[in-house]
Amino acid sequence: MKGKVDRRKLLKLLGAGGFLLASRPALAQTSAQAEEALPSFTGPQANPYWNGVHPYAVYPQKLPLLRMTDRPVQLETPRHYFRTPFTPNEAFYVRYHLDEIPNEIDLSQWRLKLEGNFERPVELSFEDLIRKFKPVSIAAVNQCSGNSRSRFQPRVSGGQWGNGAMGNALWTGVRLKDLLDYAGVKPGTVQIQFEGLDRGKGPENLGSGRFIKSLDLDDPVIEETILAYLMNGEPLPMLNGFPVRLVVPGKFATYWLKHVTWIRALTEPDKNFWMATAYKVPDTPNGSTTPEAFASGQVKTVPIGHFNMPVRSFIIDPDGSYPLVAGLPAKIRGIAFSGHGKVVKVEVSTDNGQTWRPALLGPDYGKYSFRTFEYTWRPTEPGKHVLAVRATDEKGNVQPDSGVWNPGGYLWNKIERQEVVVLAAK
Amino acid sequence: MKKRWLIVAGLTLLGGVLAEVPGVVAGNWAQGPLGLILQPAPATPGGGTVYKVGAYPLYTAELADGEGKELVMSYCSICHSVTYITMQPPLANWKPTMDKMLKTYGGEKFIPPDVAEKILAYLQAHYTPETRKE
Ligand code: HEC
Repeated sequence: MKGKVDRRKLLKLLGAGGFLLASRPALAQTSAQAEEALPSFTGPQANPYWNGVHPYAVYPQKLPLLRMTDRPVQLETPRHYFRTPFTPNEAFYVRYHLDEIPNEIDLSQWRLKLEGNFERPVELSFEDLIRKFKPVSIAAVNQCSGNSRSRFQPRVSGGQWGNGAMGNALWTGVRLKDLLDYAGVKPGTVQIQFEGLDRGKGPENLGSGRFIKSLDLDDPVIEETILAYLMNGEPLPMLNGFPVRLVVPGKFATYWLKHVTWIRALTEPDKNFWMATAYKVPDTPNGSTTPEAFASGQVKTVPIGHFNMPVRSFIIDPDGSYPLVAGLPAKIRGIAFSGHGKVVKVEVSTDNGQTWRPALLGPDYGKYSFRTFEYTWRPTEPGKHVLAVRATDEKGNVQPDSGVWNPGGYLWNKIERQEVVVLAAK
Repeated sequence: MKKRWLIVAGLTLLGGVLAEVPGVVAGNWAQGPLGLILQPAPATPGGGTVYKVGAYPLYTAELADGEGKELVMSYCSICHSVTYITMQPPLANWKPTMDKMLKTYGGEKFIPPDVAEKILAYLQAHYTPETRKE
């Protein structure tokens, strides 16, 4: 009898509690427990969130990251890890195409093989790579071609990344040029092909069986490309390409092969699926077209390697999950980068892009690195405000305020915005 | 389960009522919806020259219930997990994706045409802008 009364009373109180909970401001996104979870998918509209809407999951050598797909592994880096110019290895995003990913590599048996049109084909051990060649280091951003694909309108199929399919690291390793000289590239070579240890269950000769990419031998980026065995001063996590991965500064990550084991000198351009069919973009100045033009079959496409990464910038703080207070300084912080060269200017707008003020730039770690920026804003008006950020690189490229569209979902670099709420302090 | 909610409700009440300053709500608690994640034990280094990380965990998404679900779960998880399906935005037309899986990626080696038809019907029934629920 007593229990019954209590229950009824408590149910009533539960209602009141629910109301109180709902009227509290949202907790910061970075906290362990969200008050309300994001939806499990977005669309057909653009994904409005900074990251994709994937749940957190734990993988070997990684902090909890956003699991876009579990097999093959595709993990997005949560926004707050971009507060620093170098992305921690254990938070660095992961993108595989195929599901037979190495769990174990015996260095006493693993060899890097240079084969094909070389004077002398060679096999090098991990120790050879470390000892026989002069190490070089470069800070460079690794960004997936499809980073921010979930912004596209209309939406396109493929990995529905938010902005977190990118990271910056200090990469140390062997210059590709030194390896090519060591083996001696024979005349008639047009491309250098790379293949790693990852394999898929599909047929050998299709994209579902092997992942292979090639760079033109006369592409200037060959001079800057390295085979890295250190990432931020440590051996690469397995999921980022142990023992060595290709670092192709300024280019999208599709060329940055992981677990590189074969380097081949080709006398004919590579016709494999991942060069000839996938990762193709319209041959227009910004790689953009329209669904109609594409459907008509009139759009000529080229490999995404013909493009360097367009200039981008991101607001990392404030992230909109906590309110600002009128009269108190609010630090607007973030990162910027460009595949075309050094970021020379970052501008911040606190009125949705109507007026712009220069932000203070952080240290310069080289032209392919993230560059941090900071702008102190002292909001006076309570209510909703829209922040925006826009970067300019040394070649004069400025971020546009319009989004590109192409069927692959590549090359997004629209000006980023962040809505924030300012509380009155009265 | 019910009992746990009652306790939560009780705590909620205490929090609300005991606050001494008007406008302040304190002491609310609710059951956390997230699982606990265990810390990894120190790595056991492989023998001498072996770099290893162990098995990769699967966190495969649950598909919507409906006719054809089992077919999708078996045939569409040969090359990748079905998380590739739930990861997509709702697609109005799944035919191009099916064609890509069957022809471009060679899925027809594993998936007979009549099964492919049933899979397409399932995807249209649960994963378009009109039909997608979760
Ligand atoms: C023969 C191997 C194979 C089979 C079987 C297969 N897929 Fe795929 N699928 C792939 C590959 C390879 C990718 C590209 C993976 C990547 O890039 O991460 C892919 C990607 C996808 C994507 C991502 C979007 C896109 O267009 O790339 C979806 C959705 C998808 N598959 C659905 C399916 C469905 C539904 C089935 C069952 C009918 C299926 N797949 C069966 C190989 C396969």
